[in-house]
Order: sequence, then structure tokens, then C-alpha cells
Amino acid sequence: MSAEEMAREDPLLGALQGTAAVEEEHGRAPVRQFQVPPDELARATTYLLGKDGHFAGIFRSECDDSLRALVALRGELVILHAPLDGARSYPSLSRVTPAALFAERELHDVSGVVPLDHPQLEPALRPNADALERVVTGPETFVIPYGPIRSGVFEAIQFPIDTGGEDILALSVRPYFKRRNLEARFKDLDHEHGAYLAERIAGTEGVAQALAFAQAVESVAGVDPPRLAQRWRAVHAELERIANHLDVGIKLAEDAALSVGVARFGALKEEVMRLRARLCGNRFGRGVVIPGGIRDEPLLSAAEVRRAVDSFENDLRRDRSLLLATASFTDRLIGSGSLDGEAVTRYGGVGPIARACSLGIDARLERPYDAYGRLGFRIARATSGDAMARFDVRLEEIDQSLHVVRQALERIGGESAALRHPLADSSGEGYGWAEAPSGEVIYWLALEGGRLQEAHIVSPSLRNWPLLSESYRGDVLTDVSFIEHSFGLTPAGADR
Amino acid sequence: MLKWLFRGLRHGIVTTGYPARPERAPTGYRGRIAVLRPDDAPESVASLCPTAAIRVEDGRISLDRGRCILCGACVTNAPERFAFEADYETAVRRRSALVLGEEAPTVLEELLPTLGDRSWTLRRSIHIRHVDAGSDGAEEWEIQALTNPYYDMQRLGLYFTLAPRHADVLLVTGGVTHSMRDPLLRTYEVMPEPKAVIAVGTDACSGGFSATTGEVAGGVDQVLPVDVYVPGSPPAPIAILHGLLLAVGVVAREAAA
Repeated sequence: MSAEEMAREDPLLGALQGTAAVEEEHGRAPVRQFQVPPDELARATTYLLGKDGHFAGIFRSECDDSLRALVALRGELVILHAPLDGARSYPSLSRVTPAALFAERELHDVSGVVPLDHPQLEPALRPNADALERVVTGPETFVIPYGPIRSGVFEAIQFPIDTGGEDILALSVRPYFKRRNLEARFKDLDHEHGAYLAERIAGTEGVAQALAFAQAVESVAGVDPPRLAQRWRAVHAELERIANHLDVGIKLAEDAALSVGVARFGALKEEVMRLRARLCGNRFGRGVVIPGGIRDEPLLSAAEVRRAVDSFENDLRRDRSLLLATASFTDRLIGSGSLDGEAVTRYGGVGPIARACSLGIDARLERPYDAYGRLGFRIARATSGDAMARFDVRLEEIDQSLHVVRQALERIGGESAALRHPLADSSGEGYGWAEAPSGEVIYWLALEGGRLQEAHIVSPSLRNWPLLSESYRGDVLTDVSFIEHSFGLTPAGADR
Repeated sequence: MLKWLFRGLRHGIVTTGYPARPERAPTGYRGRIAVLRPDDAPESVASLCPTAAIRVEDGRISLDRGRCILCGACVTNAPERFAFEADYETAVRRRSALVLGEEAPTVLEELLPTLGDRSWTLRRSIHIRHVDAGSDGAEEWEIQALTNPYYDMQRLGLYFTLAPRHADVLLVTGGVTHSMRDPLLRTYEVMPEPKAVIAVGTDACSGGFSATTGEVAGGVDQVLPVDVYVPGSPPAPIAILHGLLLAVGVVAREAAA
């Protein structure tokens, strides 16, 4: 087939060929990798974004000295692979999409490769809490350094707020206070140990992290986990989603000083955490997902989990309708922290934040993995894009998660099928992803003889944080915690 | 509001009786690792552990629970030597007490008196400040859980405070990253005497996975004097409560070896 014919058959490839992109062999659909010269990266990215693509991230892989830019399209993940061949700079992608701002600063700090014309290239990875820059200058305005130690039992992150006293004039986000450089820690681990590290990158979304890691290893090895293991994985992943969404409910009720709501949602979350502990021995579902399947026989039968889920749902319904009928709670959420779908797309936002702006983005449906292709559920969506919409989306997602858990459990019989397929000591590179409670997490891994050579993680927290700076129009200082908590992001995910 | 009240009442009491009554972990709970057969171990046993918690010297296994992330790699691959124990009370007052199977240190670590011993009034009303110095986020969930109805730590006179100047206890999570070192130290310095520091989680005890990445100090005790260590990845709420009561002096019983 000639290049022209190919271009007609596949418009994506055709247009990318206009930017000197060449499709590379890649093991598994729906991932397509194109080789592009570094100078053409920005043009190719622009093209993909024009096709309704969501920019996911960019990193430099050490093992072959190349850049990889990830753009998620409907139904496929497109990788622009740009070998550097010793070059130490390339035209910055931040000029074509603000979604690349943090990722390129990180890339620069870690590898020294310079994204040319990046608007803000000072070091980011070891922030100094006291070195604050004012976004708004003028008489009678000042900046409040909210963080890194904040008002409550929260993770470390800083939100410098420019204000004249009450109105938010600018809200900035400074992550990386707790960066542990764990991506580098993957080197030389075998895949079992790698899974244990993955679930500790962002502890509250550990199952999703381990899932994305495991899929990447499985894609290199060319092995699918047994169906039974896929179903149990879905049960664990959805219980994790429910716990995270309930946690957002606790935090929002606390912001609204609704102590009974805090207590009731706290009790609901505790029920879920205890169920997880009874199911696998760990309250966070750790040690369950490993490449090739799941590690151990579950400690509860499908019927026992089903009973626990039923009783939980009963409790949830009553508390939820009470909460939504409490005006002192809903009034604080309605209209706070409004985002529109255009801004979310521009920044490559994912998860409930995107879905609350009526964007139907969900890796479980767009690029189904494990059992999700065979389980039915709806994408929860809302239209207004404010804190209330995000909370509504989460409540609806809890329902959908319960629905998924029930379907998965129905298909888990008393059979004694294998829980894990053995993996050969394979070599190569692969991508894996999972829809974490806060949005899609993507892993890129390079393996050599079964050992990890390199790992890069595209984290939903890092993709969503910049949106906080777009969300405060007309809001006042006391709205900040509502806005932040309605985002439901874990700083550990970005500060990996 | 009245509806909320009835909703709460209808549910009955779910709160634990701990520490007056023991709280049992569910069957199969992975609270800590026990060494079943410490002797005649090949060197290769040490490589089962991703965080170097297991050491083998002269064929004898030692296990550092302060480094153990409870992943269970050793239990899975050498079930004849290692097993999980369903224990909640895992906190200790000396770092060396977390190390199993090593000779007792010749120089005894200084044991800080409990808060209750330093000031009698600090037994019934303790204010706690938390600082995240590089955790994975899970420890924060488990600390916050102490206020939910199942644990209700206020019943024991334990309260969170936002102001470090009002705090008696500092709960630190994470292995202390570069950026969090100064904020952590400043928080500690402005706390009034007497004060206690609790390292919550394996990362806070030793750095865990991040110990060797060059980004963390390798545990809170590298930066501050630590009164109580609560290992676990993450420790369960009851384990953290155990650590708090140990620091205050309400509970004297440390984790058994």
C-alpha cells in the first residue's frame, strides 16, 4: 500500500504523516505509537488536540533517549515518540497546550532536556514554602501561603492565594512538596515488587495504580489475567472508588460544619474500609493486584461480599438523601468553583472533574481493560461544572460502582479456577491504564528479562491540579476548601 | 437537623471500647509479619523483601518492622518462614523494639518519659497536630478515621487542633522530604513543652520504599526526637490510637515482639 493510500484509509496516520510521523509497531490495541522528530512534536500534538484529543503527559525515557508525548483520543491512546539522538532541547508543547506546563517542568528538572520557549521553566520539584510569587500586584493586595501544612489532617501541598481581603484574585497550585522520586525506585525491581511499589505511589488510589502497572507488564508479556481474577480486580477497584467518593463527602460536610453529616459519611466510609479488610486483609486492598492476576484467594465468598454491599447501600441511601436535602450543605456547593468543558479539555482534565462538565471521559468505557468490556454501567455526568456537579457525579458513580460490583460478583461462582497466570521473564515496553477515582492513571514501563528498567506515570492529580487556578471566578476565601475538596485529588499522585 | 439526629440515633452505638476492651482485627488481617523459623536461612531470603527489612546474618533472620511495608512478598514466597499476624497494637516507644531477632543494643536508647509522666494534667485532654512530610496519602485517611463514630477518639480526650501552638502531640507521616523538612521543624519548634512526636507509618519510621531515592531523610527520627513509632503501611486506626495512648501514658503496653 502506498503512503497516499494509507493516508486515505486512516486519516489520523495521514495527517500525522504531514508532520513526518511514522507509525511504529506496538503490541496491543488500542495503543498506537508514531515516531516524530522532536521539532515536529508540537505540530503533531496540535493536530491530535484538534481531533478532540486530551493531552495526557510528556516524559523522557532514559533507556532510548527519547521523548514520549501521550494524547488520549476517543477509543485509543496515541503516543508521539520522538528520539532525541543526543539533542538537549525541543520546541515546548506548553505553547500549544497549557496541559503540558507541569509535565515539561518536571521533565526539565529530571532530565535536563530543555523545552524551548516554555513560559515558566524554573525548578519545580523541591519547592520552598517561603518563596512565594505574587500573581496579582497592586496596593492593598497580598498573598496568603495556604500550605504546605494546612488546616486539618491533609496531605502537603501549597495553594498561594492572592487576595484583597475576601475575594480570590488568583489561586495558584504548588505541588511537589512531598515528591519522593518513586518512579526511579522501580528500576531493577521484579514485577511482583513493582506492584507493591505502584500501590504506594498514591495510597488512596493504590488499587488503580497497581492495575495500571499490572496491565503494562501484562501487555509486555502478552498475557491476560484469568477472568476470575479480572472480576475480583474490578470488585476491589470499585470499592476503592466508593471509599474515595465518600471521603470527598466527609470533607465537604466538614467544610460546611455539618458534624452529623461528617459522622454519617465517616461511618459509611469505615464500613467500606472494613469490608475491604475482611476481603483481603488490608484496608486499602494492597497486595491483591499483581501482574498476571490477583495474588491470594479472597477471604470472603462472593455471596458474603454481596450481603455486605447490600447492607451498605441501604445505609447510604438514607444518608445521601438527607445530605442533599440539607440547604446549609448544598448552598455552599452550588455555583462554587465553576469550570467549563472548554477549560477542562484545554488542560487535559480527567475523572469526575471532566464528567461534571458533561465530558464523557472514562477509561473503563473508552479503552476497556480487564472485565470492564463485559460489565454494563453508565458514565455519570453533570452539566453545571461546579462543586455541586462534581459531588453529584461522585454520588452517581457510587451507584454505578455498586452495580459493577454486583455484576462482577454474580459471575464469580464457586469454581476453583486459577487466579493468576504465570508471566515469563519478558523484555520490551508497554502501556497500561486504569480509571482511578480521580481520573485515568497511565503507566509506561520498560522491562528487561522480567526486571523493570524504567517507569513513568501519568497521574490524574497532576493533570487536574492546574484546573484549580481556573475555577475560582467570583469566589471568596471561605470557598477555597470546598473547591479543593470537590476536586478530590491526592497530592501524593502528582508528587510521586 | 432533627432528621439527622434521628438518623444518628437509629444507627445505635458502633464505637469501639478500646482501650478498655481489646479490639480484635478481622480474620486474615495483615497487621504485621511474624518470623516462624529464624534459623538456618539462606542469604537469598533477604532478597524477598523490597525494602530491605529482612536481613540474614550467619543463617539467622532479623526483621525490621520499621522498614516492613507489609506487602507480604516474604509470606507469599517463603510461607514456611514468615506469616501475617492479625495484630492492631503495633506501636512501640523505641526504634530498636521494632527489630526482631537482633542482639539487644549495648547502649540503651534513651526512653523519653510519656506526656502523662511529664505533666499530670496531660492525661485527659490532648491536642494533636498532624504534618504530612511525604506520605502516600493513606496514613492521612487512617488518622482522620479516628474521628469517625467507630473510633471516636474525642471520648478519650484526644482532639485535633489546627494551631501547633496549642498542640501537645505531633503526628508525622512520611519519610521527610527536602521541601517538608523546614515546615516540619518550625511546627515542632513552636509547640509548647512538654510535647511528643509520633511517627505514623512505615515511611515515617524509616522512609519505606522512598528511603533510598535521595529525596527523603529516611524517617522522622532523622530530623526530630521521636517518642513513639507506629509501623504499618498504613497502620490501622486502632494502631495509631495505640500509639497516641502510649505517648500520653494512658496505655503502657507496647507491641509484643
